[in-house]
Amino acid sequence: MIEAVLAVEDLSISFGGLHAVDAVTFTAERNRITTVIGPNGAGKSTLFNLISGALTPVRGHVRLDGIDVTGAPPNRMLSAGLARSFQITSLFFGLTVAENLRLAAQRLEPNLRLWLPTGRSRRARERVRSLLDQFGLADKAQYPAGALSHGEQRRLEIAVALAAEPKVLLLDEPTQGMSHGDTELTATYVRKLAQSVTVLLIEHDIGLVMNLSDKVVVMNQGRKIAEGPPAVVRADPAVQSAYFGHA
Amino acid sequence: MHDALTLDARANHWLALALGLACIGTACIGYAIGDTFYLRLATEALIFGGLALAVDILLGYTGLLSLGQALYFGLGAYVSAVTLIAFPSFWTAMGAALATGLFGGLIGGLIANRVRGVYFALITFGMAQVAAKAIYNTRSLGASDGLIGVPVLDVNLGIVTVSTASPVGFFLLALGVVTLLYALCSYLMDTPFGRLLIAIRTNEARVPFLGFRTTTLRLGSFVLASCVASLSGALYPMLRGFVSPELLFFSTSGNAVITVILGGVGTLVGALYGSIIFTIVKSVIGSWTEHHLIVIGILFMAVVIFLPKGLMGLAQPLMRRMVHRGKP
Amino acid sequence: MLEYIQFVLAPQVVTGLALGVAVILVALGLTIIFGLLDVINMSHGEFYAMGAFIALALGQVGLPFWALLIAVPLLMLPIGYVVERGLIQRVFNSPDRHVTTLLLTFGFGLVLEDGLRLIFGPNPHRPETPIPGAIEILGTYLPLYRLFMVGFGGLLILATALIVYRTRLGAMVRAAAFDRNMAASLGVPVEKVYAGAFAFGVALAGIAGVLLAPIYSVFPTMGRDFILLAFTVIIVGGMGSIGGATIAGLFLTQVQAISSLYISPVWADPIVFAIMVIMLVVRPRGLKGRLGHA
Repeated sequence: MIEAVLAVEDLSISFGGLHAVDAVTFTAERNRITTVIGPNGAGKSTLFNLISGALTPVRGHVRLDGIDVTGAPPNRMLSAGLARSFQITSLFFGLTVAENLRLAAQRLEPNLRLWLPTGRSRRARERVRSLLDQFGLADKAQYPAGALSHGEQRRLEIAVALAAEPKVLLLDEPTQGMSHGDTELTATYVRKLAQSVTVLLIEHDIGLVMNLSDKVVVMNQGRKIAEGPPAVVRADPAVQSAYFGHA
Repeated sequence: MHDALTLDARANHWLALALGLACIGTACIGYAIGDTFYLRLATEALIFGGLALAVDILLGYTGLLSLGQALYFGLGAYVSAVTLIAFPSFWTAMGAALATGLFGGLIGGLIANRVRGVYFALITFGMAQVAAKAIYNTRSLGASDGLIGVPVLDVNLGIVTVSTASPVGFFLLALGVVTLLYALCSYLMDTPFGRLLIAIRTNEARVPFLGFRTTTLRLGSFVLASCVASLSGALYPMLRGFVSPELLFFSTSGNAVITVILGGVGTLVGALYGSIIFTIVKSVIGSWTEHHLIVIGILFMAVVIFLPKGLMGLAQPLMRRMVHRGKP
Repeated sequence: MLEYIQFVLAPQVVTGLALGVAVILVALGLTIIFGLLDVINMSHGEFYAMGAFIALALGQVGLPFWALLIAVPLLMLPIGYVVERGLIQRVFNSPDRHVTTLLLTFGFGLVLEDGLRLIFGPNPHRPETPIPGAIEILGTYLPLYRLFMVGFGGLLILATALIVYRTRLGAMVRAAAFDRNMAASLGVPVEKVYAGAFAFGVALAGIAGVLLAPIYSVFPTMGRDFILLAFTVIIVGGMGSIGGATIAGLFLTQVQAISSLYISPVWADPIVFAIMVIMLVVRPRGLKGRLGHA
């Protein structure tokens, strides 16, 4: 049996009577790719906000390696080993690519290093170099993040989330707005990532989801309506009606 | 090896060095011709340069516009004056001012950091205004007249003893203090702490997801700025022999903001250049007309519109080329 | 007890009300400009002073008080319009609009203030009270002019709210505040609306200057102290909200007026400010949401 790294139990939040996320329960297993899908407004992004600490749930639990981290602020979530990327690219656009990554890798260093010259943070620097290579951004290292192409920015977005070496990585629509070629490239990166980190993904490209995911969680109107391997989920009648058009 | 931000900081160090040398040159000339007035004026420019450094930490790095930094400058000045009248020791006065900056900065920071953007600007403005009014109406602090009779000091620096009555001596002492403040600020701004402040200015929402508490960082920035302002203010009564509520007024805070914008925001050294240029402009125009505010206002508006990066925006590309040369 | 109310409390409440409507007029201008343009007008206090000085100058050449109440805002409208088009529009698209426009208007405030000092000199002027005398109501003597201020100011505040919320012009303003691009594509001349709203805001400040001139003195830096109170009012009321500014303005000036009966007036300001701080801590958005969004 593969061990669950991230366990979400009965997670709920409502905004003014609307149950945006309603009693969602699922697990993500170590070094596997779990994808959350669902029509627009199904509550996927809200779910991510709840798991990553951007929102506090009114009910339910988030456990990381068995430790309850429910309601912890994002900075503590990161210390606990959970990082995320954003659907709308959220980088430090005025700063260089390398500096974006270095800021994100700073948590690898002890707190004391915050007060020593930046150059002394060796581990962070090495991490930056390996991320630059890993994501094919080495020749753009000294470019301002704002000067990158959309595809490169989306890649940097993932790299920034990955920089602090989290156990669990939440990727919110990493291929958003990408060309077909870029989407393929991103899929390759995500697959490679899953060798060392547990990935939780939100994705719209169904073809990509089906061949990338180890497990798919389907949401509709705030609720989970199915969970399982892609092939099983695809055949599920509830999913068929809710997601693939009201057949 | 070094990243762009570190290299920029180095470029600024060269500009700071040039400024320091120019100051020492001024001191020599002043000493040779036995000048008092201009050396006192230059000392004042340095002291207000310290206040501008504090504004730049908040505005240029953390992205917080303080319209009330004079609060800490003035508190430092009053605490220093009160201390000196009771117990004439430079180090005690500076220590008291530092404690004031730390303590006052914590309190003010906890209040002001509840909000952001224009609200931050207005609340810092309000805090300073209320404190200024309180002091203005407190008889034991001299009310609207301020405190006079701050004694002349002999500052024992170990190797030499400097009298605050000596124009050259105190000018150099102020230069030393402001240089230390500059060095401290530019050191901190080049550490990961300082980089995180820049990150907050650029995109605050993302910073918690990198694993850092933004409230703590912003409080750190606020306390640093209040300490720098307070320590600069502590020098003021040593220079002029008195303190007055005007030190806390909006015009003092506003001038510090003008200084930073004029010199170039987010460069630290720009704050010092700005202060010297501002003082020169003010006194040159002041020798023609009482209405220097019109000229300064127009100059300031022109800089905001046409030169948003200030004077350092003009100088920096040149310096950058110089420092980057030979480094890939 | 009755005597206390008649001779101490009631006059103080009316004085507070008179100050209140003037503060609200200034605050309305600020809050409309912020709600619509996203601009903190740091020169607003100087526009208020300018209104008082224009009234002073026109009064000296013989214009009656009634005419001033019309002439001053009419003169200030084009000034405000030109300032917005000539200065603020220039930096409207800069990356940090809040800070840039705040700095720009701050610089302009310096120029205005010193300009007033250049023309009128630094000393305070005290125009005569246009409506002298007092009236006895239930045993309380109330100065007629303050009662007039409360009535006239109240009408102006009401008229402003009606213009913003009930007219076609107001609808355009609110549309532009809600979504600039959408409004533009619907044919709203957004830039003119912006300049017009700015002009309207400073004209309101000008009227407040005319009204308060006979009570307080007229001097170049008169805007500085006043503006903090106006900022406090719009923060407590909710930036960009007309109703919020009105409620907060009445409330805060009463707090100030009544508290200064019991403690030194010096500490009335800190109390008002403390209310603002508590408000920011408890409810950072103020009493009401902003223009176009509520």
